[in-house]
Amino acid sequence: MATCPSGHTSTSNDFCDVCGRLINGATAQEPPPEAEPETCPSCGEPRAGRFCEGCSYDFVSGVGGAPAGWVVVVSADRAYYERMLSQGAPDDGPIPFPDRLAERSLALSGQQIRIGRRSSRAIEQPGIDLAGPPEDHGVSHRHAVLLAQPDGGWAVQDLGSTNGTTINGGANPIDADAPVPLGDGDRIHVGAWTTITLRAQR
Amino acid sequence: MTGRPDFRVEIYQNEYLSSGARQVNAILTVTAEGPGPAQPEAAQAAAVVLIVDCSTSMNYPREKIRAAIQATSVAIDTLRDGTEFAVIAGTNQVRLAFPTDGTMAIADAAGRAAAKRAVFNLDADGGTAIGSWLLAANRLLVTRTGIRHAILLTDGRNQHEEPAALASAVAACQGRFVCDCRGVGTDWNVDELRGIASALLGSVDIVADPIGLEADFRAMTAAAMGKSVADVALRLWTPQGATVRFVKQVAPTVVDLTDRRIATGPQNSDYPTGSWGAESRDYHVCVEVNPGQTGDVMLAARASLVFSDADGQPEVLAQGLVKAVWTDDEALSTRISAEVAHYTGQAELAQVIQEGMAARRDGDLDRATSRLGRALALARQTGNTETEGLLAKVVEIDDPMTGTVRLKSKVSTADAMTLDTRSTKTSRVRKG
Repeated sequence: MATCPSGHTSTSNDFCDVCGRLINGATAQEPPPEAEPETCPSCGEPRAGRFCEGCSYDFVSGVGGAPAGWVVVVSADRAYYERMLSQGAPDDGPIPFPDRLAERSLALSGQQIRIGRRSSRAIEQPGIDLAGPPEDHGVSHRHAVLLAQPDGGWAVQDLGSTNGTTINGGANPIDADAPVPLGDGDRIHVGAWTTITLRAQR
Repeated sequence: MTGRPDFRVEIYQNEYLSSGARQVNAILTVTAEGPGPAQPEAAQAAAVVLIVDCSTSMNYPREKIRAAIQATSVAIDTLRDGTEFAVIAGTNQVRLAFPTDGTMAIADAAGRAAAKRAVFNLDADGGTAIGSWLLAANRLLVTRTGIRHAILLTDGRNQHEEPAALASAVAACQGRFVCDCRGVGTDWNVDELRGIASALLGSVDIVADPIGLEADFRAMTAAAMGKSVADVALRLWTPQGATVRFVKQVAPTVVDLTDRRIATGPQNSDYPTGSWGAESRDYHVCVEVNPGQTGDVMLAARASLVFSDADGQPEVLAQGLVKAVWTDDEALSTRISAEVAHYTGQAELAQVIQEGMAARRDGDLDRATSRLGRALALARQTGNTETEGLLAKVVEIDDPMTGTVRLKSKVSTADAMTLDTRSTKTSRVRKG
């Protein structure tokens, strides 16, 4: 039997079984975690909750975690197109939105994959070629590059393109000299209507 | 009893409240481990009733009744040896297809063969009165203890029975057995089957093409055979003056249990959870407590999993503590638990899909567009890619982040019903 700070008699001696108040002498918190903190079996990040902060691995059900690989989905994005159009069309009139473009996807591999429009003069052709058809004329020949990261993820870097590269519907183009790390579902917008979405493969 | 799985409760919450605050939210993850199928003899005895719709419409197309017969035979083969079972043929009347004398058979070689002969001769001729089928299943199962399970297959609406008759039949069966429901084809009513399945703590799904029935029945029966303990309740002790705002199962599907409360003591209430095998489920509990002073520490709820034998004393299988700590530190009290936030989103997702699909049926296209758009944004933000894929068959997506969508003009009935039926399925993994 214990007595709680409000004077109730309680049969349980951690919290009062009448009002729930902590009974003096009982510890408020769970015993401290063991010295070795649990780490994520998928990415090695220390555990901070049910889901891994590093890779969203679920410690309870054991699903999720670092992806097996990454793909990009290249699509004609009407919402992005209209956003660009509202910022003013080029002098020679607006680039039309393509009437057909099957989404295509591409598995990412290697150290870097260039985004651009192929050109008969260039020696190296872009891995993600937006010369179509339909061709997105707003894309530079050397527009941007996807860079493999040491942690297994990917980043995008603009290569000094004419019209810039934006991320996730943002208004401001990313800097030309700094890679921007990407996660699952992040969207890269280039040219007049192209959106490239990064997807984790589990 | 040795055959019971080991239960474990983990609590995820932000226990810090600003002074004067009273609402405490927590996610309870309940995990049951072993005994698996490796030691079936350790599990509780099981009794299974297979209810097959034999209304005339099952003949149109003829593949439906053939697939139902085949799927039922596969289910019979999947029953664990020694399981008691029976097959009911449902029309506007109830026919005990096997055994015909109101008993249950034992799953062994002879019992299975006799049952499959009876099932092979099933005729589709009559109406649909699901409530009377459930009551017939209940009459068979009422004397059984241990795992009690029914599998209900229908292809149509409950036309030959008043809605009130179905409701009272469901109420009579609540807590008596678990019932998984399957709708075959696209002429059945999603709300009707979902209501039965959630009241009887079972699953609901669509099998649009009868071809898929066999695999589905095998999986469903195997899952039922994987259960090893029945009649488990979630018991909440709350302090004096506290009220339970809601209790919801939130994974693997959303099931609101708030109204299923059974008071078991002055400060205890039980919420039924049905039968368990080796599995893990999440519950969202919201409790309102008397506000404390800064520095107070209070137990907002003691959550336990309780097993009640037919006659024995309730036995606590595992428990977890939901706490409240009042603080002046806003950095602590304004934090939102990632788990609570995730499942709040998942519960809203299920609700807005159901509202959107109802509005779409009623011709309120503006409301349908706004609800389904909200659903799409939630599915994307919470990483529920399965639901997002189902939504994409019903709406054109302009911007998934803001939920800007347009209703597709041509949507197959099967796709619309699949989205509605699976709306309660949640994702467990939070996106970073």
